[in-house]
Amino acid sequence: MKPAAEGPSKKLKGNVKGNSLWTEIWKHRMTYTLLIPGLVWLILFAYMPMGGLSLAFKDYKANLGIWGSPWSGFENFKYVFRDPTFIDAVWRTLYINILKLIIQFPFPIILALLLNELRMRKGKKLFQTVLTFPHFLSWIIVSGVVINVLAYDGLVNSALGLLGLPTINFLGSESNFVPMLLLTDIWKSSGWGAIIFLAAISGIDQDQYESAQIDGASRMQQMFKITLPNILPTITIMFILSVGGLMSSGFDQIFNLANAATKNVSEVLDVYIYRITFQSSTDFSFSTAVSLFRSLVNMALLLLADRFAKWLGGDGLFR
Amino acid sequence: MSKKANKKPRIGTERMTLLDYIIFAVLLVLALMILIPFWNVIMISFATQKEYADNPFLMFPKQWTLDSYKALFADGTILSGYKNTIILLVIGLPLSLFLTTSMAYGLSRNKFPFKKIIFFLVLFTMIFNGGIVPLYLIMKSLHLTGTLWSVILAGSFSAFNMILMMNYFYTLPESLMESARLDGAGEWRILFSVVLPLATPIMATITLFYGVAYWNSWYDAMIFLRKADQLPLQNVLRNIIVTSTTNASNASSVDAAQASNFSMGMKMAAVFVTMVPIMCFFPMLQKHFAKGVLTGAIKT
Repeated sequence: MKPAAEGPSKKLKGNVKGNSLWTEIWKHRMTYTLLIPGLVWLILFAYMPMGGLSLAFKDYKANLGIWGSPWSGFENFKYVFRDPTFIDAVWRTLYINILKLIIQFPFPIILALLLNELRMRKGKKLFQTVLTFPHFLSWIIVSGVVINVLAYDGLVNSALGLLGLPTINFLGSESNFVPMLLLTDIWKSSGWGAIIFLAAISGIDQDQYESAQIDGASRMQQMFKITLPNILPTITIMFILSVGGLMSSGFDQIFNLANAATKNVSEVLDVYIYRITFQSSTDFSFSTAVSLFRSLVNMALLLLADRFAKWLGGDGLFR
Repeated sequence: MSKKANKKPRIGTERMTLLDYIIFAVLLVLALMILIPFWNVIMISFATQKEYADNPFLMFPKQWTLDSYKALFADGTILSGYKNTIILLVIGLPLSLFLTTSMAYGLSRNKFPFKKIIFFLVLFTMIFNGGIVPLYLIMKSLHLTGTLWSVILAGSFSAFNMILMMNYFYTLPESLMESARLDGAGEWRILFSVVLPLATPIMATITLFYGVAYWNSWYDAMIFLRKADQLPLQNVLRNIIVTSTTNASNASSVDAAQASNFSMGMKMAAVFVTMVPIMCFFPMLQKHFAKGVLTGAIKT
């Protein structure tokens, strides 16, 4: 109701009487038909599932369905927070994702700076193609490649052997699991991440570089004094988005790289939700409570990071 | 692009300095770190089991063989996976493009009542969703579980793609649509005959994104589908590489002796067969997405 009320509508001639909102709606009736297919999808597969989150406060009975099952208040949440495997999964998720946030985050930026400074047009395109390629493969394919390369008798270990160095059990050891997650994720996604920063760099006003050159600034100085400050807003936005995913993400990677040997260190929150929903039990109310908790924490983190960025004087995500 | 570079000779005309060589070397090493593992995978799939066992650091097999591929296709599951994934693409891709384009164009129009609310409803799905259990139950109550439709419909709209597209449409001059409107064209007509022909970069980008998403989808299939012969390619691949690593008895119909003989070669053949289409299409579409993302990305 609001937008129509605040904007005094340009009335069509001959249509002076009647509600101006309805006139406006009627005027744009064709535009609304454009939105209908998408809205139907949103209602069915986005907003109905959100309504289905009410299951977290219910005692799900298969024969009664989502809407018919009896309410149980915060019963499910009581069980959730008493489950030690849940608490473990939460800490493990935070641990892995905070490490990723700190260690992995700079790589795409560095890569974008390198690509931007490269003085060969052809080479730049070729490098960009090669470096972004892994992003478009599923973690199943990538895990196939990784398992081959890092296997105990795989490519890297036989190379280490040739150099006379000790071989490493990359994938079958608990202590190596988290470093492997970082390494493979950097390998897969840095190139794609760099595209966003390259896009930001290409939007920088060239005059800034020209006047810096006249002042005698070296390329390194230009990089740190012009390029980096100019892409800082983009860096902030990407950082906020990453913070908003601290409680999730990584399911595909972890689920496909984990094996029997790393079972104890690979159960992050998403894997836990999958296991309690479809494998070990099928207590749908319980697992809905867990995913609701996860979504709420993610959203809170996102909004908090956004506020923080604004407080620092940055742009933030929402205005 | 190249014209611009000629006008402003900041980069490209000067002599290569030490810094340039260092940058080139670093990028080359990074590119090789990506290329060598893939090359190794492809070569193992064409090598004999014996040669692989002798030297996993295989960059060029002495003895080429198609045995791994024969074993893989004799198993047959990879073919049914291919079939199912192609069904996903053939039905899903047009549907996704239709839902996304019509809504993006609709929302990129000038002010109309409820526009802000509708845009917020789309945006909100990016930061909050109902999660897998309610979606599963809704699919079930619509009698879609156990059919490929559940996988298609679960992935047929992405708010991110829509916003990218919307931002691109904003860059088109409004006067074009205004003149078409004066000629009596309706909004749908304008979308198809005025807007889309001007939107090749973003259409290529979004087609690539949805196409890759369908090609790579497996989680929804793992949850919604029941029968093995319904599974898309990725799930089949997962059964071949991940599951058979921990559970050797999973080699199903293939002769057990042969399966263990060729397990590594066969796995790598399956990986190669699954990524070939992306390898083929990706470089073709890649030149567009730089432009599509550039114009569409992160500006509000």
